[in-house]
Amino acid sequence: MELTPKVKFLGMTFDVTLMIGSVVSALIVMLIVFLLTRRLSVRPEGRQNVMEYIIDFVSGITGTMLEKKESAKYLSFALTTFLFILVANLLGVIVMVTSTVNGPIPSLGITTAGLKMADNSVSWFKSPTSDINVTVAMAGAIFLYSHFAGIAKSPRGYLQHYVKPFWWMLPIHLIDEVSKPATHALRLWANIFAGEVLITILREGAFYFTGVPLFAWMGFSVFVGCIQAYIFTVLAMVYIAQKVGEE
Amino acid sequence: MSLAVLAGGIMIAFGALAAGIGNGVLFSSYLSGIARQPEAQGTLFGQSMIALGLVEALPVISIAFGILVLFGIIG
Repeated sequence: MELTPKVKFLGMTFDVTLMIGSVVSALIVMLIVFLLTRRLSVRPEGRQNVMEYIIDFVSGITGTMLEKKESAKYLSFALTTFLFILVANLLGVIVMVTSTVNGPIPSLGITTAGLKMADNSVSWFKSPTSDINVTVAMAGAIFLYSHFAGIAKSPRGYLQHYVKPFWWMLPIHLIDEVSKPATHALRLWANIFAGEVLITILREGAFYFTGVPLFAWMGFSVFVGCIQAYIFTVLAMVYIAQKVGEE
Repeated sequence: MSLAVLAGGIMIAFGALAAGIGNGVLFSSYLSGIARQPEAQGTLFGQSMIALGLVEALPVISIAFGILVLFGIIG
């Protein structure tokens, strides 16, 4: 397991690797969308077709979960979530930058004890979704937003849905509310984390021995990254729809 | 050999076992579905892939925590 450089600022710890990874993924998403939406025309051709296909795909997700009027409101949110997680997941499969550091660097939070445990390897670039803090932050934001949207729509309906269909179901609803963001975050993190760890382990072995499993696993990681990005978006929409869709 | 290695190994092993059972049930239903109605293969494939992602998540969570225990990061 590699160490990651950390910076302390205002009493909080910031992970430099995650910040680099998140900014690079966000920039790549911006670049893709920017390039695909140049020179728009009524009759789509070329690059515009690709973007329209992606938007069609995401509006299929929102359309099945929410009513037509509501789904248009959440389309851009779902599109951003989907593209960001997709790019972040795939980046970790293709690019991983790790360097060997021999001495401790106190300003980046790299200590001798940590280096000893991590065999002197420090990670500089990896998939931001392979760290649990990122996925918990994303799932937590969606959790807070879904409750906020539910209360904003109808406060009475929001309180009432906890005791539906029977009053004694309240504890089940409360457990449900806690477990939803927890599994939402853990699902994405665990898949990407386990994938990256296995890639790191396979890269350390002799190439003639681990070469074929490495490429097989990298292919599977690309597949898992796409599926998990899709599932994260679907579940985010389901959780919002559960709060917004009901009376 | 420390107990943490054993614990991590057991977590990964049971994760793999559960994933095997879950995926077996899922894909046997998928195959019997397309055997009965071959023209529904396109729709069923997409649906079963979504179910695969949902089923795989829990064993993979166990495996990820198993890796953390195995390398001595937690526990």
